[in-house]
Amino acid sequence: MKRTAMVSLLALALALGAFPVAAEDTISFGAAVSLTGKTAKEGEYTRDGYNFAVDTVNAQGGIAVAGKKYKIAVKYYDDESKSERTAQLIEKLINEDKVTFILGPYGSAPSGTAAPICEKYKIPMIEANGSAESIFSKGYKYTFAVLSPAKLYLKGVIDLVMSRDKTVKTVAVLGENEPFSKEVASGAADYAKEKGLQVVYQELYPTGTQDVSALLTRIKGMNPDVVLGAGHLQDSLLIVKQAKDLGVSPKAMGFSVGPSSPEFRENLKGNADYIFGSTQWTEALKYNGDDPWKTPKGYAEAFRAKNPKYNVIPYQVAESSAAVIAFCRAIEKAGTLDPTKVRDAIAALDFMTFYGQIKFDSRGINIYKPMAIEQLQPDGKKYTVFPAAVAEKEALYPMPAWDKRK
Amino acid sequence: MGGAELGQIFVNAVLLSGILALVALGFSLVWGIMNIVNLAHGAFIVLGAYITFFLHELLGVDPFLSIPVAMLALFTLGWIVQRGLINQVIKAPLLATFLLTFGLELLIVNLINYFFKADLRSVTTPYSGTGFTLGPVRIPYIRLGALGVSLVLVAALAWFLKSSRTGRAIRATGMDIDAARLTGVKVATIYAATFAIGAGMAGAAGSLLSMIVPFDPTLGGAYTQRAFAICVLGGLGNVANVVIGAAIYAFVDVFVGARLPSLSRAVTFAILVLLLILRPQGIAGKSV
Repeated sequence: MKRTAMVSLLALALALGAFPVAAEDTISFGAAVSLTGKTAKEGEYTRDGYNFAVDTVNAQGGIAVAGKKYKIAVKYYDDESKSERTAQLIEKLINEDKVTFILGPYGSAPSGTAAPICEKYKIPMIEANGSAESIFSKGYKYTFAVLSPAKLYLKGVIDLVMSRDKTVKTVAVLGENEPFSKEVASGAADYAKEKGLQVVYQELYPTGTQDVSALLTRIKGMNPDVVLGAGHLQDSLLIVKQAKDLGVSPKAMGFSVGPSSPEFRENLKGNADYIFGSTQWTEALKYNGDDPWKTPKGYAEAFRAKNPKYNVIPYQVAESSAAVIAFCRAIEKAGTLDPTKVRDAIAALDFMTFYGQIKFDSRGINIYKPMAIEQLQPDGKKYTVFPAAVAEKEALYPMPAWDKRK
Repeated sequence: MGGAELGQIFVNAVLLSGILALVALGFSLVWGIMNIVNLAHGAFIVLGAYITFFLHELLGVDPFLSIPVAMLALFTLGWIVQRGLINQVIKAPLLATFLLTFGLELLIVNLINYFFKADLRSVTTPYSGTGFTLGPVRIPYIRLGALGVSLVLVAALAWFLKSSRTGRAIRATGMDIDAARLTGVKVATIYAATFAIGAGMAGAAGSLLSMIVPFDPTLGGAYTQRAFAICVLGGLGNVANVVIGAAIYAFVDVFVGARLPSLSRAVTFAILVLLLILRPQGIAGKSV
């Protein structure tokens, strides 16, 4: 008896405390992003991208729902770069903070643990930073990703090389043994085979490897035209360093993660030249979208004006803003805040943005936006070189052998 | 496996052995003499890497020339840490030193993270990646230089422990602390010296690694793990055991990595477990 009373008291307290303080013309979003821990930096990019889009939308009056304007408020938690923590926080956001919609965390693993929670409570989540298809292979209906999936990451490098050189025959793929990179690696190998190339080498190395000389020695013996790496920044740096150590000189080298980061050149100096890197977005792309900023350039200028600490805008920032824009568009189309109806509106989205096309397949993945390819060139700069229609400069190809450079 | 590949892989393994021997050298010394498994060893390595990085980046000091600076700095830090911290729990059970060094590791790594950010760094010199070829086998200068430095330091430590007065006192303390004390060895000073030498060696290893692998503040953990594995493989007790342990680790890692890279770590540690069952004292270690 006493126990029941206490439980109901507790429930009452929780219910009272949980009533949103915000005025009724605010839509509350929730996000658990990594502000500390291993991916603290990327988590910060994610949050900054969300905030910038939210501020822009609010400054323009907010979201129009059935003739009424709503402002957006985002409640953040720090998931400490731990994906099990993400799941708890999403549950907290939905149950205690009573948020209406969820913006995704940073990374594939936390997105993967957040998705079943959103599914359980039927709360739509648009995420911008988890591209492993494993998140979407479980039949979830409430999770959507605006970014291109992992298996498309290195497709552009293959397309680019084949468009420049008809004699290319062989490809070597090495990848980190973790879900996202494995998908990148197998996606690249499958695509190469589909294009009639011969995949002479395809192996995975353990996460946190400190030495890839054994793999590269084997690759050197096979003398492939193209070497593709699917790992994280440190692996990509290590592969380039040791490729030079061992004299592995393919006609083109490309990485899924690494070259788009400024640290790539800082670490490798001139050895970074000619290397291709895939990226979700760059400000040099020539999209013309239907959103507050219209073009990548417009977005970049507006963002920098508000966030002067950013010199180069990482793609994580742009895709996070794109997730907010996708939500706004879907809520306006749905004309209601009902989560299930908004979910259906998200599933039906198809529009162009500064970030590229936003449209989801039946699993919730945006397979319609291509990955862009950047190349580090000997003038010390990085150029967007692919897809050709939206590129800023022509790629330099082939990559000169290490010992033939100045 | 073709001859050229075999030759290259063999050379890779030899070059890796040298660096790993230096990585494990200080760890093994501290463990063997003081019975402390120093979990902060990796953090000392990272500090060495940052010293070399900043001397190169800001003052243009050649990374090889900064090795003595890193060693001296870490030697001093090691001395202070031993006198100030480790000595407080030296008589406590093993678990206490475990916790202390574990905490120290977290403290150092997070301080580096705070001051220098989590950015990845490498020391890249004009001669990075250059080398010469012996038939089909390529030998990069930096790796060869690192092997040379490792061998010199390994030999120097072996000589020091065998022939110098302090070195003999260190070994005596490791064998029987009470007997050493009775013969007039100042154990506290010897412990401080041992720990400081261990840290200094870690500093040198960090300097070399900064030229070879891209690093961030968390690099050390992986090397503490390797040092631990190498000590178990080779057995404690003397410098030669460390070299043997490092060579086994490097050869297994590189040869398995050549064919089954995704299994290289699993196989390396499977061998470690097997060895612990069959020869708990290590391959070269003396049975107790």
